[in-house]
Amino acid sequence: MEKVLEVVDLRVYYEIPQGTVKAVDGVDLEVFKGEILGVAGESGSGKSTLALTIAGLLRPPAKVVSGKVLFKGVDILKLGNDELRSVRGRRIGIIFQDPVTYLNPIYTVGFQVGEVFEAHRGGKVGKYFSEVINLFKAVRIGDPERRVYSYPHQLSGGMKQRVLISIAIAEKPELIVADEPTSALDVTIQAEIVELLNEIRKELNTSIVFITHDLALLLEIADRIAVMYAGKLVEVGRADEMYKDPLHPYTKALISTLRYERKRRPTPIKGSIPSLINPPPGCRFHPRCPYAISKCSQVDPKLSSVGGRLVSCLLVGGSNG
Amino acid sequence: MTLVRYLVRRVWHSIPTLIGALLFIFILVRVLPGDPARLIAGPEALEEDVQRIREQLGLDRPLHVQFIDYVSTILRGDFGRSIKFGTPVINEILFRLPYTIVLALVAEVIAVAVALPLGILSALRPNSKVSYITSIISLVGASTPSFWIALILIYVFSVSLKLLPSSGAESPRHIVLPAITLSLVLMGNLTRITRSSVIEALSSNHVLTAVAKGLKDRVVIMRHVLKNALIPIVTIMGLQVGNLLGGAIITETVFAWPGIGSLLIDAIFFRDYILIQGIILFMVLVFIVINIVVDVVYAYIDPRIRDILWRMT
Amino acid sequence: MEDDLILKKASEARRKQLASMWRVFKSNRVAYTSLYVLVGILLLVVVSFVYTPYNPYEFNLGRARQPPSPQHLLGTDELGRDILSRLMVGGRYTIGISFISVLLGSLIGSILGLVSGFFGGHVDTVIQRVVDVALAFPTTLLAIALMVSLGPGVLSLIMAISISTFPVYTRLVRGVVLQVINEDYIAAVKLLGRSSWYIIFKHVLPNVISPIIVQTSYYLGFSILLASALGFLGLGIPPPTPEWGSMVSTGRVYLFSSPHIVVFPGLFITVTALSFNLIGDGLRDALDPKSRMFLRRF
Repeated sequence: MEKVLEVVDLRVYYEIPQGTVKAVDGVDLEVFKGEILGVAGESGSGKSTLALTIAGLLRPPAKVVSGKVLFKGVDILKLGNDELRSVRGRRIGIIFQDPVTYLNPIYTVGFQVGEVFEAHRGGKVGKYFSEVINLFKAVRIGDPERRVYSYPHQLSGGMKQRVLISIAIAEKPELIVADEPTSALDVTIQAEIVELLNEIRKELNTSIVFITHDLALLLEIADRIAVMYAGKLVEVGRADEMYKDPLHPYTKALISTLRYERKRRPTPIKGSIPSLINPPPGCRFHPRCPYAISKCSQVDPKLSSVGGRLVSCLLVGGSNG
Repeated sequence: MTLVRYLVRRVWHSIPTLIGALLFIFILVRVLPGDPARLIAGPEALEEDVQRIREQLGLDRPLHVQFIDYVSTILRGDFGRSIKFGTPVINEILFRLPYTIVLALVAEVIAVAVALPLGILSALRPNSKVSYITSIISLVGASTPSFWIALILIYVFSVSLKLLPSSGAESPRHIVLPAITLSLVLMGNLTRITRSSVIEALSSNHVLTAVAKGLKDRVVIMRHVLKNALIPIVTIMGLQVGNLLGGAIITETVFAWPGIGSLLIDAIFFRDYILIQGIILFMVLVFIVINIVVDVVYAYIDPRIRDILWRMT
Repeated sequence: MEDDLILKKASEARRKQLASMWRVFKSNRVAYTSLYVLVGILLLVVVSFVYTPYNPYEFNLGRARQPPSPQHLLGTDELGRDILSRLMVGGRYTIGISFISVLLGSLIGSILGLVSGFFGGHVDTVIQRVVDVALAFPTTLLAIALMVSLGPGVLSLIMAISISTFPVYTRLVRGVVLQVINEDYIAAVKLLGRSSWYIIFKHVLPNVISPIIVQTSYYLGFSILLASALGFLGLGIPPPTPEWGSMVSTGRVYLFSSPHIVVFPGLFITVTALSFNLIGDGLRDALDPKSRMFLRRF
């Protein structure tokens, strides 16, 4: 299968007065053509930073300390400004989480979508309005001929999100990064948007990196899932396999919270997310892990292959630790 | 069409405020130490003359009657007659008003010409030389008393260098020092507000979206940062012009610039209470009007407000 | 029992927050230096109650208008009075009046804002109208008008500046109150049977304290300028009181021959106002976490 994206040992840190936040601390990932890769993690796991880095949108004070992000073999972290600009929006698209603040309130939505065409094809935004209307039809925004002239505040949350989606898919990119695209929406709209993304994936044969804290959502839509914790990946594998047989203790705990029909209520994972400035020594999950042994606080396990799955746990798989 | 409705609404809502201001000004003058009738009559006048004047002016009637009378004369555009000059107050004001307007406009233009570029640049390039200079200017403007700046400028340019005149308004050169003085204070505020407005706009999320589209940096800054930042800035500029009525008082006085600000101080010096009353009232009126205009313009510029209004009316 | 524990943890967290805010403030060197400068000036003023190099009211025409010298560090004014001594004593008025007025204004304004926000209805409408009227005047104009009406003097000056500054506080506090009481958790607190006072102190106050502090710092700088401007116009405290603004006014005639008479009082005014403004900036940065952190720059 063709690889669209390969992330190699990526470390993204940022300096704040209180210390250095190691948001992404050694992440390796592969994304294949036409697949939906889900990235699951709680808030504070570093997944948004990962999303921005992949999309080439990282800003100070965040800095890539080491690693590569190979998009179709080209390390986008090393691209110059102009080359980066031609990639953004045209070959890699991004869908943001909060449609309210990510749209400019003083321009019509039609204009803001048309800007993508203007950026990559030149000319004035006005001449792309008919294409924008077609895009709106594709993402199922009702009454598109009139809607192109609407302002963001005149649209519902779901419609605004569809506008953001049309911005991302306008130039038919090969990779779409979706950073919590449904978290700000109602549950019913969520389902529609997820459907829409699936359709888009099939139509354009594009790959989607779907980032969310909602593991249940990923289990529905993703082909493969990467679970992120405290800046590192703990398990990567096929979605259906992970659901049936989660290997990493963290994944196990997450899955069990979804499967609580038999018990009265889900058991929460004790403890809280570690600080990214001072992560726990050894395995980052060990303070909350019910299976932890003394070695877990000393050695930080690496992601290694266990029968088609990648897991980073000392207690799983032979060649670890 | 809805804009007109908004305008009408705003004007309607300002009426109680206006009446309140009228009441306040009325009380102000009545609380004054001294008997206006005696002041007009003069210290040597006989008691019966003073009483006559009192009756003439209606000063012996109950206060609320006087107030209603006052309001109705105002509504007719009659601001009374100056005690000192004997001429209608409104004439005195209108005669000197153009001077204040010219001074205010020139000062605002200078301030905008300096503050906007500096504010924008210093927001786009923090920790640079521009940023440093901008901070200094904004601090100086906001912390230095205008009368002191005026005197220093006079000392340097009028007295020592003998380059520019320090009082009066006979020639275009006369406006230079007063305008610069006034503009420094304006600049102080405007730079600060411009810079913070642009910084805020820069960190908005929609800027990230714009970058993600692959737009050129210049386009992103002009379309998605500056235009958004400009809205609050223009609003403040409008309000500043209104506030100039108060600030110009000091500058006009120091430079003997014949505007309504110095007229007020003269009137205070002469204890011409009718003139004082009239000038204050006029200034408040203008201030209220300017505020309404700024509100309406702001509503026009920001599409969100436009729609809220549409839904309200 | 349980919510007392929660409250204790909350106040502990608040103490830590205050400590970190102080640290951020200290790291702003400009603001921190201004604090020292301000303290220095205040020290001069306080010392004036006990000692001044010369008697600020005693004039000596023989030594009039002398530039700075070892005997008179800042020179003498048009009547031969020592300028430094006059500035020290004058500071009691210029700075003291500013402090009292702004404090008064903030107190009155905040209380009115609380009352207005909490009780709503007619009380709110009346208070709001009064604030509207006050805000219909440009601030300087309002102060001048009040001084004309009240006559010169310390008390009038305090009243004038307080009245000019209270409306902003009322609007500020009322805004916060309205915001807070509309939050859902307030309904929960009320259900728990807590009184309104409790809500005020535990919920409204923490939210309202930072903007009030920042606003006060700026207003202190502003009122120094306002008080001295009124003094300059002759509307403040009558001579021979060495209010800084009036010192500039009386010295103006000798601008050409002895500029120092005008320069030094103005300098003191500027430095004091500047310090307040810089401290205000520092406080704003320290108290409002948003303005510091992730500035997306190009």
